[in-house]
Amino acid sequence: MQNCACKVEFEFDNSAAQLVSSLEYMLGQIAGNIPPQADAGDILFRCKVIITELLTNAIKHAGKGNTRFDIGIDAQKLVICKTDNGMPLYLVNTRNNTTNGNTAFNRRLISSDFLNSLYAIWESENNIRFASEEGSLNDFLPVEQVMEHFGILIITRSSDEFTYSYDKATRTNVFTVRINF
Amino acid sequence: MITIVKESPKYLIGEVTITEANLSNSDEFKAELVKLLDEHQKILILDLQELKYVDSAFLGALVSALKYAMSMKLDIVLAGLRSDIRDLIKLIRLDKVFKIYNYAEEASFAVNKM
Repeated sequence: MQNCACKVEFEFDNSAAQLVSSLEYMLGQIAGNIPPQADAGDILFRCKVIITELLTNAIKHAGKGNTRFDIGIDAQKLVICKTDNGMPLYLVNTRNNTTNGNTAFNRRLISSDFLNSLYAIWESENNIRFASEEGSLNDFLPVEQVMEHFGILIITRSSDEFTYSYDKATRTNVFTVRINF
Repeated sequence: MITIVKESPKYLIGEVTITEANLSNSDEFKAELVKLLDEHQKILILDLQELKYVDSAFLGALVSALKYAMSMKLDIVLAGLRSDIRDLIKLIRLDKVFKIYNYAEEASFAVNKM
């Protein structure tokens, strides 16, 4: 599993009815393995929102069959890997092919409003890293300009690294989220 | 899903009675909000103290309903949020578009002063 030294393995059946129980199970496993130097409250909050969004993504996109979660924890980091064989992320095959190795061309704005901007950065053909930036305005804003899709943004903002890869040969989607302690 | 517990000339207070708000009920939740706005034509104060779990689909439904309220020159105000849900809202900066209060009574006091 993609350099993921996993300690917890969990199979999710992609049903909304099992969302909360699955979340609580994984959070329970994480809670018992957070190293003492880490801020457990902050780590658990971040894991809660990240795993919730990964489960929601599975319900929406993973289709039939199960979605696998692998969670690895060591002294420096926590890594959550979500693997499924559903439809690839809509960004696959949308990379700008005129990149010529220029990192500026590897970055694409995928959503933006006055609050947040979300970017996809192609590390390679089928490997995408997400990044976000805060908007510059801090006053109350015209709500009609605010986006309504927050899943990828929530994971990006809650993690130290969030990547997606797609294996065309096996039709496998892997979302990997890293939180540093 | 939403129970009206108080109505004044200016606002409604609606208690959200579900504990889990996610993609399985977000469309229904948004439809209830729109119906309340249409029927009462008042600022809607949502008391969310029962809510323990939310996801992006619920937040999207809230934003969509807020846009609808704003188009009617109304508002949706949030109250009683658990600290982790409030932190999630702050994480994606929706505290810049929603007015948020600790308690519904506090929200109603503020709405009356608008």
